[in-house]
Amino acid sequence: MIEGILEYLNQTEVIKTIVILGSMGLFFVGLFGLLSQRHIIKVFISIGIMEIAVFILFIGLSFQKGLTAPMLGDAHTSFVQMNDPIPHAMILTAIVIGMAVLALGISFAIEYYKLTGKNRLDQMNEMKH
Amino acid sequence: MSSIYFIALPLLFGFATPIFAKFGKNGIAYSSVLLQASLFLLSIQLFVTMDKSIIEVIAIAPPLGIALILDNVSIFFVMLFTFLVLMGSLYYLKLREKNPYQNEAKFFILINMLLASAIGLVLSSDIFNIYVFFEIAGISAYILSAYRKTPKALEAGLKYLITGAIASIFLVFAIALIYLHLGTLNLALISQGFTALESDIKLLISLFLLIGFGLKVEIFPLNFWVTDIYEGSDAFTDAFFSAVVVKAYLFVFFHIVYLFLPHKEFTLFLLYLGAVSMLIAEIVALRQTNLKRLFAYSSLGQVGLLFVAFSMQEAVSITAGLYILLAHSLAKMVIFLSLASLFEKYKKEDISLFKEMNSPFLRNIIIISMLSLLGIPLLAGFVGKFLLLKSIAFSGLFVLLGLLVLASLIESVYYFKIIGFMFSKEERGEKFSLSTLQRAVLLTLTLGIILIGIAPFLISDFIATASSVMIDVRSYQNLLLGAN
Repeated sequence: MIEGILEYLNQTEVIKTIVILGSMGLFFVGLFGLLSQRHIIKVFISIGIMEIAVFILFIGLSFQKGLTAPMLGDAHTSFVQMNDPIPHAMILTAIVIGMAVLALGISFAIEYYKLTGKNRLDQMNEMKH
Repeated sequence: MSSIYFIALPLLFGFATPIFAKFGKNGIAYSSVLLQASLFLLSIQLFVTMDKSIIEVIAIAPPLGIALILDNVSIFFVMLFTFLVLMGSLYYLKLREKNPYQNEAKFFILINMLLASAIGLVLSSDIFNIYVFFEIAGISAYILSAYRKTPKALEAGLKYLITGAIASIFLVFAIALIYLHLGTLNLALISQGFTALESDIKLLISLFLLIGFGLKVEIFPLNFWVTDIYEGSDAFTDAFFSAVVVKAYLFVFFHIVYLFLPHKEFTLFLLYLGAVSMLIAEIVALRQTNLKRLFAYSSLGQVGLLFVAFSMQEAVSITAGLYILLAHSLAKMVIFLSLASLFEKYKKEDISLFKEMNSPFLRNIIIISMLSLLGIPLLAGFVGKFLLLKSIAFSGLFVLLGLLVLASLIESVYYFKIIGFMFSKEERGEKFSLSTLQRAVLLTLTLGIILIGIAPFLISDFIATASSVMIDVRSYQNLLLGAN
């Protein structure tokens, strides 16, 4: 029984369907948070969730079953039977950039809170006359 | 290999600041100006010695590696950006004596990062590099926006950062979909394969690209926070946002549109989006009293106009678009730089500032810039607007023509309101005069506006070639793939 389920789950189509459904579910969780939450930190968390969803989608779909990680090591001396390294490199860059942007955003939010005591987007009204 | 200097040197500047700081308290400022001046001279030199079309293709291990293309249209942007940033930095040399930014070294690093990433956006022909420069430009702009650390500035920075982060998510999504379906990041290869994709995937990718870039190029309805950002930031940094950053994003967006989606149906949508965006921005601008906000709305209007010009997908209208872009960059640089001095002197940002202002020089150059934005003959703005309206009329899109003329009429109302304030017979304070360097900078920019207006034939050949290169997808593909 368990083995049958594992066998079923191990098919490429099934894995990719799970990846698509899961990451898109995550994306819409993030989008919902972005549209419904007004606390600045929660908005940043929602943005983080949306980013992660896109990363999972991309890595999950570009992965091919039966191929190894694109690294040379003891057993692998040439670039054959390996996954495409470009999505990994891209997503690694994107993760770093996304983290930097969120860290910067949180530092702005902290400074803003220190000055004004406000932590919600709908309270941000310095410009309204 | 010289086009790589435009990206590498401004980025390296950041690492070299400890050395420049050894040259005294002006060391960093002067070396930054020196760097920008030498980059401007380099771009002039490349422009003078260039062949008919292509100048330089740097392709490191294509199609996977980095590729930078310096052709007629990108040299136009490189020259424009280095010139404007140089002018801004020169202006700041005097501004900083009275009202400097804290930790100036960081400020100069950010300005140079902004320059490097704007040029990188224009030069790179690899969609992931475009994403990286998109983010570098974004990050340096967020920090510049919040630099003063006042509540207003921080609010502007936060709003800029949130919109920017959302934009980057959609851009990564679009890039991921492109790579999953086409297996390449090279713009030329993508543009070859893109038309063969299924139509719903094409629609999804173009939607994500539109959201991603739309948040950055300030197009309606994605520009809800842009005016807050302009109002909260310093007028000095607004000059860079309006004149450099938005222009780089705009060019990349339309470059991608021409390469991927050369269909009239998609661009017809962008055409009316631009016209509606311009109309709405000008209507809302009428009731603004804060000057930064007012000129931000005017920028939004001009971006709408540029959208119309670039969406026409004809060499003539792209020529018009490049003229409008040039005129707008020069004029907004003049206006925001002079506002930076005026705010600092009179300590207010309200439109009634112009009633108190007593500086014939600033008054005259602001009037010239506003008239140029309006498209009065013998000024730079006229050339582009005239060519654009002519090409729209020839295409028979009379509704669009009506919308643009209406928007321009509304635009003239608030410009003339400002001019009225400038000449009102109120009690004025003592005369306010700028330093010689600041006058020289503003005068150079204004003379540019007048010179292009009086003698557009001086640059018309160059701009016409640039626009034909920009729309010529086939030769771009050959250029990029031929470098293998």
